[in-house]
Amino acid sequence: MKKLGTLVLLFIASVMLGAGVSAQDYDESAVLNFATNADPTLNPWTPGAVIESNLINTILFEQLTRYNPEDLSPVPGLAVSWEAAEDAMSWNFSLRDGVLWSDGEAFDAEDVAFTFNDVILVDELGAQSATQFSQVETVEIVDPLTVRFVLNSPFSALPYYLAAFSGMLPEHVLGDAENPLTEASFNKQNPVSTGPYKVAEFVPGSFVRLEPNETYWGEAPKLAGIVFKIIPDANTQVAQLLAGQLDLVNRLSPALLAGVESNPELEVLRQSQNLYFWVALNQEDERFTDPRVRQALLMAIDRQAMIDSILEGYGTVATGPIAPLLGAIYTADVPDYSFDPEGAKALLAEAGWTPGADGVLEKDGARLEIGMPTGQFGDLVPATLLVQQYWEDIGVKANVDVIEWNAYIQQVVVSRDYEGTLAWWSQPPTPDVTPYYSCEARSSGNNIPNYCSEDLDAIMANGQRALTPEDQAAAYGEMQTYLAEELPYLYLWYPDILSVKNTRLQGFPDINASTAFQFSEQWYVTP
Amino acid sequence: MLVYITQRLLQGVLVLFLISVFTFFLVNLAPGGPSSLIDFQSTGAQREARIKQYGLDKPVHTRYLSWLGSALRGDLGTSINQGLPVASLLSQRFLKTLQLAAAALLLATVFGIILGVLAALNRNGFIDQIVSVVTTLGMSIPNFWLGIIVILFFSVQMRLLPASGSYTIGAEFSLADRLRHLILPASVLAFSLMPNIVRVTRSALLEVKASDYVRTARAKGLVERAVLWKHTFKNALVPVIAMLGLITTVLFSGSVVIESVFGWAGLGRLAIEAANGRDYPVILGVTMLVGSIVVLVNITVDLLYALVDPRLRHG
Repeated sequence: MKKLGTLVLLFIASVMLGAGVSAQDYDESAVLNFATNADPTLNPWTPGAVIESNLINTILFEQLTRYNPEDLSPVPGLAVSWEAAEDAMSWNFSLRDGVLWSDGEAFDAEDVAFTFNDVILVDELGAQSATQFSQVETVEIVDPLTVRFVLNSPFSALPYYLAAFSGMLPEHVLGDAENPLTEASFNKQNPVSTGPYKVAEFVPGSFVRLEPNETYWGEAPKLAGIVFKIIPDANTQVAQLLAGQLDLVNRLSPALLAGVESNPELEVLRQSQNLYFWVALNQEDERFTDPRVRQALLMAIDRQAMIDSILEGYGTVATGPIAPLLGAIYTADVPDYSFDPEGAKALLAEAGWTPGADGVLEKDGARLEIGMPTGQFGDLVPATLLVQQYWEDIGVKANVDVIEWNAYIQQVVVSRDYEGTLAWWSQPPTPDVTPYYSCEARSSGNNIPNYCSEDLDAIMANGQRALTPEDQAAAYGEMQTYLAEELPYLYLWYPDILSVKNTRLQGFPDINASTAFQFSEQWYVTP
Repeated sequence: MLVYITQRLLQGVLVLFLISVFTFFLVNLAPGGPSSLIDFQSTGAQREARIKQYGLDKPVHTRYLSWLGSALRGDLGTSINQGLPVASLLSQRFLKTLQLAAAALLLATVFGIILGVLAALNRNGFIDQIVSVVTTLGMSIPNFWLGIIVILFFSVQMRLLPASGSYTIGAEFSLADRLRHLILPASVLAFSLMPNIVRVTRSALLEVKASDYVRTARAKGLVERAVLWKHTFKNALVPVIAMLGLITTVLFSGSVVIESVFGWAGLGRLAIEAANGRDYPVILGVTMLVGSIVVLVNITVDLLYALVDPRLRHG
């Protein structure tokens, strides 16, 4: 009898406990605090809406596709399925049924067609990231829940790009605007969006406060709100993190991790992105057109030592423009140019470069003296100075000219007035690198070294036609080998992206911020 | 007196005009361009489109004349990077800076004058030495470093005060809450302003104390307190007022750093962001606003002189 009584008690207790956990395993009143470094613009396509706006816009403006947090392949967002036509010249996307904008209007094919045909594809508007979709001719409405992307050339990476800061805009709100990208009442006050959270309050210079969107189509958001505080200073952001006044800080410099690692409430996330640092040598300059010169200049750099000193070890030597993150496509089976200053000298000698009177290499009257403008941004200056030292050891003289970031962009990116320079590219997790390598992108596009090869263009076009994973792996395997041999850019490293979050924030995919923010409806706070 | 005031105001207008010409051409001819046009990943075609949209394809002098025309009619244009009217940005941010500056000025003046008087009364004594150490620290410690240190101590270690912002987000308005947010930034800013006030107060007081009319006052048998308040203090005020005029400019430049460290949405931060992002209309707006304030403060200071020191009374 006593035993039975105990059993009954145990049973009752377990039922109560079980009920407690399922009903209340998260704190419904929790508000998360994030930081952003400047006033955001709440429209993903407005010129200048970049790092300070991207993550907020990812929560607000849902995209047709999202990244799978496991392998970054495209998974359903506002579109539930998609399929390419056999000739790869068009794609059909089926849209999710029952999606409402935060003002209660229904989301449908009109909105997708508007976002593309009247915003992204209108050249005069100069929309941010519009070049991602330069192969899209137009978007046709098949029926209210189906759109067709009509292309001007095959574009296998389309579903990937649709998940890359490519939020949908409401046609019924912005359709009549003179310029849908500059409506201050939308961008800076009260945008209409479909995401799990919507804007409750935007105080310029201070913060943006989000609250749950009751009309959200998916599982109900589990937080009472999300606040983005505008804090320009990284040190202050870290201090607030330590004080428990912030729950997440993204893209932290390794130097700022010191006090963070020992704090039991904080956890450091080592994330990765399709991001690589490089040195570009201007191909308009004949001294750099011989691939042996580029190979030798890369061999002269001890990249692992640079990663250890500048990134405090948080990075991997780069082999090409595709990061290991893209598991199915990435190949390490390419020439790797490990540190070998003697080999570099020999290779330069083979290419006809011999030491002149002052030790600097010369050939037919030309000297290997390289003008290197450097932007004051992140680690660019120390990295460039190390490259300068490594090159000096093999008789190559770099003249480093440090300039303010904005002026740097004007000089190097806009005017292409440089001989060598060090910077980085960050791109969506797709192997398609056309915008950074094609002949068409020389001079005014993102092909900063002005490199042009018809062979490479053909290989990249093959990749764009490849619709199955096998075909893509084959095409992009060939591309990676070609790039490693030719070195249009000298590949330096893939940095780890360091983020720190408070352990109370749960349900947050670790892979990287741009992916995690596409799943904000899953975030919760443990009580 | 009226003639003098009119003269000074006309001079002020001329100064402001010159500031506008100088700033406009300087920022427009500087290398780089608005960050919304000149960002790292934009292509040539995108830049062209945006340059047209913002009218930046027109020659600089045409743009200046059209800016001047609108500005005279009260329209300061629209921020290129933020898409908001410059006037509304300025008024929001100016109020914030004014709160910070007023609090800092109050703290700096009260403590500066108290310490200055104490130091002067204890010339070369122990208190004078202490005050001298404090003022040297205030002058030599960089604002941003001190800002981060006080955040680490009061906010991270003690968890007493908030590290940024000007009020608790989502909470009802409360004066106590506003003051709690104001304490750290205002104190740090005041700490760097105070040394000037201390030094000027101390030396002015010493100078006046040694003057003939104070000796006379003592000689005719006035009690020390009356000597200090009626004769010494009032005469020592002239250089302090001059100092306060100069400090106004220091306040605005100091708040640039403080506002970034403490996430304070003021004019200083707006100026920094506009300069980094080459937001031409905002740079112009901030410069003209701060320029007008400095001009007005200087005129006011000159008039105050005249009130305090009869010898300087004009006209």
